[in-house]
Amino acid sequence: MRLCDGRTSGTSVAELLQQVVIGLSSGAIYALLALALVLIHRATGVVNFAQGEMAMFSAYVAWQLVQWGSPYWVAFGGTLVLSFAGGLLLQRVVMRPVENAPVLTIVIVTLGLLLVFNGLATWLWSGEVRTFPPNRPFPTRTFDIGGVVINVQDLGIIAVTLFLVAGLWAFFRFTKAGLALRAAALYPESSRLVGIRVGWMLGVGWGLAAALGAVSGMFTAAAFPPLEPTMMQAVLIYAFAAAVFGGIDSPLGAVVGGLTLGVLLNLVGTYADDLQDLGFPVDLEGLRLPVAFVFILVLLVARPQGLFGRASARRV
Amino acid sequence: MRRTGVLIGVIGVFAAALALALPAAHGRETADPGITRTSILIGGTTPLSGVASAYASVARGAEAYFKYVNARGGVNGREITYKYLDDQYNASITVQQTRQLVQQDQVFAIFNSLGTEHNLAIRDYLNSIRVPQIFAATGARTFGADFRKYPWTIGYQPSYTGETAIYGRWIQKNKKNARIAILYQNDDYGKELINGLRKGLGPMSSRIVMTQGYEVTATDIQSQIARLKTSRANTFMIFATPRYSIQSFIYANRLGWKPRIFVNSVASASNLMEIASDAGHNKRVNGTMSIQFLKDPTDSTRWAGDAGMKLYRQVMKKYLPRGNANDVFHVYSMASAFSFVEALRKAGKNPTRSGVMAALAKLDSKKNPFLIPGVTVKTGRADRFPIEQVQLTRWTVNRKGDGRWVRFGPLQRVPS
Amino acid sequence: MSRPSNSLLLGRGVRLAGVAAFVVGVAILPRFLSDFRASEFARVGIFFIALIGLNILTGYTGQISLGHGAFMALGGYTSALLIAGRPGLELAQLDPPDWIPVGNGMKDIWTIPIAAFVAGLFGFLVGLPALRLRGLYLALATFALAVSLPIVLREPEELTGGTNGLNLFGTTDDRLTGALDNAVHIPVLDRDITFNDWTYYLVWTTALIGLAIAWFVLRGRSGRAFKAIRDSEVAAASSGVSLASYKTLAFGISAAYAGAAGALFAIVSTIVSPGSFPVFLSIQLLIGVVIAGLGSLGGLVFGALFLYYLPVGIQELSEVGRLPDGLQDAAKSPGMPSVIYGVVLILVLFVLPRGAAGFLRRLLSPLTNRL
Repeated sequence: MRLCDGRTSGTSVAELLQQVVIGLSSGAIYALLALALVLIHRATGVVNFAQGEMAMFSAYVAWQLVQWGSPYWVAFGGTLVLSFAGGLLLQRVVMRPVENAPVLTIVIVTLGLLLVFNGLATWLWSGEVRTFPPNRPFPTRTFDIGGVVINVQDLGIIAVTLFLVAGLWAFFRFTKAGLALRAAALYPESSRLVGIRVGWMLGVGWGLAAALGAVSGMFTAAAFPPLEPTMMQAVLIYAFAAAVFGGIDSPLGAVVGGLTLGVLLNLVGTYADDLQDLGFPVDLEGLRLPVAFVFILVLLVARPQGLFGRASARRV
Repeated sequence: MRRTGVLIGVIGVFAAALALALPAAHGRETADPGITRTSILIGGTTPLSGVASAYASVARGAEAYFKYVNARGGVNGREITYKYLDDQYNASITVQQTRQLVQQDQVFAIFNSLGTEHNLAIRDYLNSIRVPQIFAATGARTFGADFRKYPWTIGYQPSYTGETAIYGRWIQKNKKNARIAILYQNDDYGKELINGLRKGLGPMSSRIVMTQGYEVTATDIQSQIARLKTSRANTFMIFATPRYSIQSFIYANRLGWKPRIFVNSVASASNLMEIASDAGHNKRVNGTMSIQFLKDPTDSTRWAGDAGMKLYRQVMKKYLPRGNANDVFHVYSMASAFSFVEALRKAGKNPTRSGVMAALAKLDSKKNPFLIPGVTVKTGRADRFPIEQVQLTRWTVNRKGDGRWVRFGPLQRVPS
Repeated sequence: MSRPSNSLLLGRGVRLAGVAAFVVGVAILPRFLSDFRASEFARVGIFFIALIGLNILTGYTGQISLGHGAFMALGGYTSALLIAGRPGLELAQLDPPDWIPVGNGMKDIWTIPIAAFVAGLFGFLVGLPALRLRGLYLALATFALAVSLPIVLREPEELTGGTNGLNLFGTTDDRLTGALDNAVHIPVLDRDITFNDWTYYLVWTTALIGLAIAWFVLRGRSGRAFKAIRDSEVAAASSGVSLASYKTLAFGISAAYAGAAGALFAIVSTIVSPGSFPVFLSIQLLIGVVIAGLGSLGGLVFGALFLYYLPVGIQELSEVGRLPDGLQDAAKSPGMPSVIYGVVLILVLFVLPRGAAGFLRRLLSPLTNRL
């Protein structure tokens, strides 16, 4: 909707940079959850649609621990441990019975988990909005560079995200555990033959993904306040898009996808007004999400395995 | 050949069964349903699950109040049963459930259904079959303005356009150098708020230098706030729902933008303001303005000895112990329930649907214990806006860093 | 062709009897139901139609779609616009651009095939780029559709009514008032029936027609091609099955069914709005086909009943007096309905991992297998 615009010219470079910076910070949040999705897919072959709600639930657990008096970082660590255990348990109890069911059945089971976690969080903590203590996880100080405001917290979140990407990549590439996880997911029968306890590997995969999701949830509550049961729902949409767009098995792809998506959404919004000034018939401001999706889908059609996914050639 | 034969056979069977079994239409009942000598059944729809489930308290508070009234003998010996269904904030589910309440449960009236598009979706139906649509929980202007076309419908709260017109009027009088930026939800609710502001600003409406909308699918509105900052506005209107309102304060602070802020009453609850203030670190919330017509349940100092808020806490404790007493939507719903009970009493010993609507068209009460003092719930021949008075209020932070809403100025009449 | 063995005939006989019983049941059910329950079954029927379509795409052809709610939205809006026509839109103070062929108001029944066609065409178009995508990537593409279409439909306010959508009340003949005493006249049989019964029969007649069409299509060459693609694309392609043609055909057909369901949705609800077709609807449809059992028409009714009655049942659980007090409070508390829905869904899948149809197949296998 356009009323009189007090600006005399189009978007300036500083404004553009500010939008890019903001886009990167939002994108890092999408990337974090996307990493959890990638992790669980690599480790178990399944996309866990409940990942967002589990992350939200973990964030609430952390909040509750803080309410009970523990310092933030103690609560943070405790939540990671609890989430790992929870994820492991979930795989053993809920996913195991449907291990051999058709893929879609497994997908729907994760959707059922989505509903359960969402409802459980609302039931336990009600829909009232909550918040973490200030300056957690990182100080929210800002500094201004040439008109572009940068927030230390956002930098911290981006740094952690990149660190986790590197860590995940190294884990899968260089460690025995990582190899075992991948083997269990891709070749369960052969893995059993060499002594890998496939069942427990899958559980560990879920546990790790849940812990990663917990980080994502706690950071989301800080970056996109307040803490409430619906806070991860939109993030899941973007994370899913980022993970798939990046190539569902590539941690790097998830992060590149997330950051790109964040920046893209903001650019659409930023230039919507300028485009309209130039005579573009549609107001793109309200259409950020559809436009971003179109962009992603066009790229996907051109490169169906995603940015960093491995192409599987099928010749007929 | 065989396949066609099978098909023809099946069609024949279907047609035969149909012709024999088609049920006939039956006529309508003559007496008003939903009311007996000892009870009256009203129904409504509220989002109890899904994204808008925060509004569930709008139904629960009213339910609790009715239980309180019932425990004291009800209204003229009748107990009020309030049946509310979860429409998941989906208007077509609202339609289905409203039909269920009317056709299956045979309610006396539809009460306190929540949502603008939701109430719009059922308004024609209810009016065509002459079932009252009482105190629709929405501030869209049409529910009070279009009563001639829809005589069976009435709203309750001050209209959205009216609320923002008051902001506009205040700015006209008190801030002549205003440059106004607006963040709004990109739907009819947000747009109504903007329209009201423009009306209130009058000749100053050219002072709106930038607007930014957001979708409910947005995770955050940092981008919008950054753009609004570039307009160098010194006045910031937050026409958003609670989540995005909190973010507006926080991001404005982080980006170093220091306008005077107005926030719409839907998102002005004290606990939201506290969260936005980030334990005192965020000074942007200081001096924020809004309007109020309900008593703020978190303001224990102001309402310490107040009979109305004592009643509120009593009812919450006894009939909704698991509910959050600080949630202002509970106060709203009890106010609405109170006014309904008043109208029901006024409709006499044997209320009929038209009798209740007539009573609702002649409300005139200062007794509502949940509204700020001085607010009259009043309707008349040409006026179907029950609440038209509000007071401007300012978020004031004391030296210790505690903030609260402090009302100032006279009761203002909301222009309809 | 050799004579089929007795047990095969028995199997076919059992199936025919089942179909006949079903058809008769559908025809006479409203007799035994209250007026309002008939309208509930109409809603079940709408899900049923959409599920037939999605099953053809996902169950038979093996292409996942997380976006069929979008096709329902398309069908619904098409139908609503045609029923309202330019005069109806003017009544709602809308002013659509001249080049859009909205017409002057059409009888609701005729909008159903048109809506199906429009949705089907769109589905076919969506199927084209989707040819390059498989599995998760296709899921994302269709999911993007589900999320985006309501937003896109909301934008051209003058045509679609924006957030509040289109209200069909009073824009056509009084039939759509849904008023209790407004009887609907059926000229062919010269009888009057109530609005709710009329919606029931409209939906289920369409459903039966749709079921018959699906049965024909799936019995024939297309059906075999679909199943071949699902089982192995490589094998199918090497046998000469054109992947492109059949995949896009599957998309188109399934979208057409969803479009018809959407049109009926508009007629029965008398409103369409972006909020009526949320993302959750697309997810529900996927849940429905999985619960029904992919790749067979038998379990679809069960899937539709599950989709409609589970939330209703959960709500009725929290009604006064059905549960002991402690549980009562818990069932009514915010969040509990979601938990119950999720738990029931998971438990059903534990018991029926291949859906109702899979269960039925196992149950009836003694009757239909050779000895």
